[in-house]
Amino acid sequence: MSEKQVGPYGLTTTQEEGDAMESRARMMIALLCVMGLGLLTAGELRAQAIAGKEVRIGAALCITGHGANVGKREAIGAQAAVDVINAEGGVNGVPLKLFIEDTASNPQEAVNVVRKLTADHKVLAIVGPHYSSEAEATFPLGNQLKIVQICVASSKPGLSAANRPYAFRNTLTEDKIGDAVVKAFKKRYNIKKAAIMTDIKDAVSKSVGTVVLPEAFKANGIEVITGTDPVTFQTNDTQFTAQITKLKAMNPDGVGLGALGPDALNIITEARRQGMTQPFMGTAPLMEGEVPQKGGKAVEGTFSGTIWDRSDDSPKSQKFKAAYEKAWQKLYTGEFTKLPDYYAVNAYDAVFMIAEAIKKKGVTNKPEDLQKDRERIMEYFSTLRTFDGVASKGFNEVGDGIKDVQVYEIKGGMWVAVKD
Amino acid sequence: MFVQQLINGLMLGSTYSLIALGYTLVLGLLEMLNIAHGDVFMFGAFLGLTLAMFGAPLYVAVIAALLGAGILSVIIERSCFRPLRKAHFLGPLLSTIAFGILLQNLATQIWGSEPLRYPQTTEIAQFRLGPVQISSIQVIILATSLLLMMGIDLFARKTRMGRAMRATSENQINASLLGIDVNRVITFTFFASGALAGVAGVLTALVYLQITPFIGIRQGLIGMVAMVIGGLGNLRGAMIGGIMIGIIEVMNDAYLTASYRDMIIFGLFFAFLVFKPEGLFGTTERRA
Repeated sequence: MSEKQVGPYGLTTTQEEGDAMESRARMMIALLCVMGLGLLTAGELRAQAIAGKEVRIGAALCITGHGANVGKREAIGAQAAVDVINAEGGVNGVPLKLFIEDTASNPQEAVNVVRKLTADHKVLAIVGPHYSSEAEATFPLGNQLKIVQICVASSKPGLSAANRPYAFRNTLTEDKIGDAVVKAFKKRYNIKKAAIMTDIKDAVSKSVGTVVLPEAFKANGIEVITGTDPVTFQTNDTQFTAQITKLKAMNPDGVGLGALGPDALNIITEARRQGMTQPFMGTAPLMEGEVPQKGGKAVEGTFSGTIWDRSDDSPKSQKFKAAYEKAWQKLYTGEFTKLPDYYAVNAYDAVFMIAEAIKKKGVTNKPEDLQKDRERIMEYFSTLRTFDGVASKGFNEVGDGIKDVQVYEIKGGMWVAVKD
Repeated sequence: MFVQQLINGLMLGSTYSLIALGYTLVLGLLEMLNIAHGDVFMFGAFLGLTLAMFGAPLYVAVIAALLGAGILSVIIERSCFRPLRKAHFLGPLLSTIAFGILLQNLATQIWGSEPLRYPQTTEIAQFRLGPVQISSIQVIILATSLLLMMGIDLFARKTRMGRAMRATSENQINASLLGIDVNRVITFTFFASGALAGVAGVLTALVYLQITPFIGIRQGLIGMVAMVIGGLGNLRGAMIGGIMIGIIEVMNDAYLTASYRDMIIFGLFFAFLVFKPEGLFGTTERRA
């Protein structure tokens, strides 16, 4: 008995059989067995990994306060994703449940909400918050609590990079959009010198007009006639005669706008009225509020860009839009939440990413594994570069979104994607 | 470019003048502010806009707004001023605030709170005068408001009704003793005040490209500032005050930063109230 040895996996062997050839064969068999076992356990994981009656996801979004409308749209987007996933059988058969908590557009409240979602609702990951100011407070907390947050709107540079590893932002900063639009704008209209007109009240428009566009113009070899002193106006101004007279006198090849859609509409109309024929361009904020439909002939040829627009009719977008409408009826009906924007898409995609992480990383959803599960989701996101969302491809090495910019122009009363 | 900006200011200011005139007419007569005046203006704008959306030409829209806003103003007199003549002197003021809010809500119900745009019924032509370019819309706005201002000025000085208005504003009791139907004069004055606001509404909708039910709030305030700068109760003062503010606003946007605009206008308002309450052109004689 003494010469008998117990090999791997209970295979008995003797000293006499121990020549080189046989030993190699045994090794092969052993390896195959290990692999088979591995496959078997993997199969078991896929079938039984998810415990419990629901998989909990949190949403820390501004349902009240000054960001209420956009926050509600994001919540609807997230809920739409949950509904789609559940209608298709949930995550490995277990339905998702979304816990929406209101940050009131306020950093302090956002901190409370993240704590509440983490400790009370015991969610696996959090979609939100919306604002950079909120994320500045909740990202460090997320690292402390070791829970992933996917911000869906904040675009302040460096915020995710400063809060590795649990902070992610499924957004694209305006400068990337600005650069893409300026390139297409220059190519189409042969722009050599441009003027900039900007809102000085709305924060995003202001940064577009004072930072993003000047840099994008310069980077593309376009002279900025207005220099560091752009023509200014305030959100919801009622008339722009003085500004347009000033712009007209500068005689630019084209005008860059740091403006929200409704203001841009009036600015361009006034320009045509004063006989200006030059083209206008802007970035994502300009695409809010039916500029092509309301502006008619005056706004034709205006350029803008975004990561997603309602006019996009790819199958994925259509599925999103249909799901959004259903969730809208269920969640927050109202005029200002009816139509989805790209923030809602970011939230929708974020939920799909979380569901994907749960499947791919073998999240167990057992109460005792909660901490481990949250870590698995973080690990999945930190290498996610090729996600196939409506308008999301994953995150770069510092946790900011990877997305394609689509440049649009107004043609025949609609935003139409600029090809080539 | 300066001359061009001056014309922009003149155009904007002339719509302010029409509103200031409406305030002044009522103030001169009753020594009472009609706070709902800005909302009468808003209503006129929507009335004209609605007709224009049904394809009516501009002059029809202007006349309809003139009549509609005039009648609305008479309704305000009947409901907010006449029943409260014996009440505390703040009574009519407060009741017109309420009436204004009522009008805003009514307009929100009828036309919604989303901004509406004036349909482009006529092709805009551009005229060149040396270095200056004027569009047909600018000409229409300027001509209409200047004509109305001159009309009101002539009316108050030369006609029987104008004389009756001035007599009533000097002393109501004496005027009625002299055979003037004071109630008729008051009704007429309110109608004229509202009519001016209605026309201003349509013209402003043309300048502003779009209107909302809340457009009357700022417009009403600016009209008041114009009246104070020109001199309370002084018709010509109100006209010039309005045009001044229009020019200040445009020059600010052209040469300074947009965020200074309201600071300058309302700073001026405050300065006038404190240091020169009689305004640029003096207040008309008041009753003892």
